[in-house]
Amino acid sequence: MSSEPVVTFSHVYKKYSKQQVLNNSLREELVSVITGRHCSDKLNEGEFWAIRDICLAVEKGQCIGLSGHNGSGKSTILKLISNITYPSLGKIRVQGRVAPLIELGAGMHPDLTGLENIYMNGTILGLSIRELKRDIEKIVEFSGLDDFIKIPVKKYSSGMYLRLAFSIAVHSPADIFLFDEVLAVGDESFQAKCMERIKSILSQNGTILVVSHDTLALHQICDSIVTLEHGVAISGVKP
Amino acid sequence: MIHRLYTYKDLLLVFIWREFLIRYKQTAIGIFWAIMQPVSLMLLFTFIFGVVLQTTGKNYPYPLFYFAGVLPWTFFAGATNFAVTSLSGNFNLITKIYFPREIIPLSGVAINFIDYLIGLAVYFLLLLCYHTPLTWNFIWLFPLLAMLFMYTTSVSLLLAALNVYYRDVKLASTFLLQFLFFATPVIYSIDAVDIRWKLLLFVNPLTFIVENMRRVTIEGRGVILWQFGIEMLCVILLYLAISKIFTRIERAFADVI
Repeated sequence: MSSEPVVTFSHVYKKYSKQQVLNNSLREELVSVITGRHCSDKLNEGEFWAIRDICLAVEKGQCIGLSGHNGSGKSTILKLISNITYPSLGKIRVQGRVAPLIELGAGMHPDLTGLENIYMNGTILGLSIRELKRDIEKIVEFSGLDDFIKIPVKKYSSGMYLRLAFSIAVHSPADIFLFDEVLAVGDESFQAKCMERIKSILSQNGTILVVSHDTLALHQICDSIVTLEHGVAISGVKP
Repeated sequence: MIHRLYTYKDLLLVFIWREFLIRYKQTAIGIFWAIMQPVSLMLLFTFIFGVVLQTTGKNYPYPLFYFAGVLPWTFFAGATNFAVTSLSGNFNLITKIYFPREIIPLSGVAINFIDYLIGLAVYFLLLLCYHTPLTWNFIWLFPLLAMLFMYTTSVSLLLAALNVYYRDVKLASTFLLQFLFFATPVIYSIDAVDIRWKLLLFVNPLTFIVENMRRVTIEGRGVILWQFGIEMLCVILLYLAISKIFTRIERAFADVI
């Protein structure tokens, strides 16, 4: 399985600020509208590096696990891949459609029915209305919600909610899937179904990046695991 | 910005549809709320200025005069009011998933525009009731609508983006909107204003829009071309500047929100 990498990080740095009111940041952004991209590699007061000097090269069909303590920068890497936030320094290249499952059920509204929320959450994940119309039966069937799909989501149990959200997510025709601590969803039979689905994504040459504390589960599905500590990769795949 | 929106058009459509559904779900009279607000404001102004204070302004019916002013105002106020908290209130979306951020404030502009169009239908019924002779000059309404839409979009985007950085914007916008209401000729006519103040009031594009919307429908006269040209140019430049700033600073929204 050696092909052109679909996700490439070269010496990526990301800094965050601890301050609450960011008086400087708006001014900096406005200045950069005129002067072009500019970011200093020095830390201002109250800033810290979330990740430092990260190099990654993920190939098509690979499954990469990211592990590490809270605040070690795992989620930041996923956010950088999915364009939610941008690197302070370094370059990131992503090829293909990304399905960022950083939070399940993003955009779902409690007053809307399950069916209506499939369209809401699906389009947020980057699916078109046409794709959703085509796959809607498969999604409903996978979730196992049957008749409950027609009632407002606010009446769901939390398990039902997550099952619906996960079903929408894994039916995305994306090339790259990002999972952030979302593997432990639903009961045992649903989890088994999810594992199967993940394996079928991989067999269809999809790429997966998983963030989890559960190293046992990671070893089960991942080709290689990157361990992060304080924003620095201490072991894992070579770029 | 427009090219980017085209690739995400489905999401924008679903957002508009969602806001529309949420708005009228579990309501008794549903879509009638769209005309309730402008109609009740129109009745109130007619009562206060026509019956109680007995002001004499233009020589055409009070209900027409006020409704023509109230409609664009409620659209502008509704859309900007929605926009201010639209991004900061959806922080769980902004920090968890990528999509063009302008979609959220724009969906607010869109649903308020739908309400506005419903109000316009009522307005045309009212024009018929008062046997107002319509001339071809009412075609001017469409460029004026476009101008109002563009201006409202610009202000909405700006307020939404600024409120991500400073929550003061939400607090300030509430009373700034009240100021702006009096700076817009909704309850008076600009003709009654002294020339010195007239120029100042025309800095606000809404003044031009509201005045001319009355002029092209009720009075049946055309707009003055050079005035329209200047105002349109200003609105377009404002839109271009704000959309440029927005697309630049939205990259940092997830970090600062």
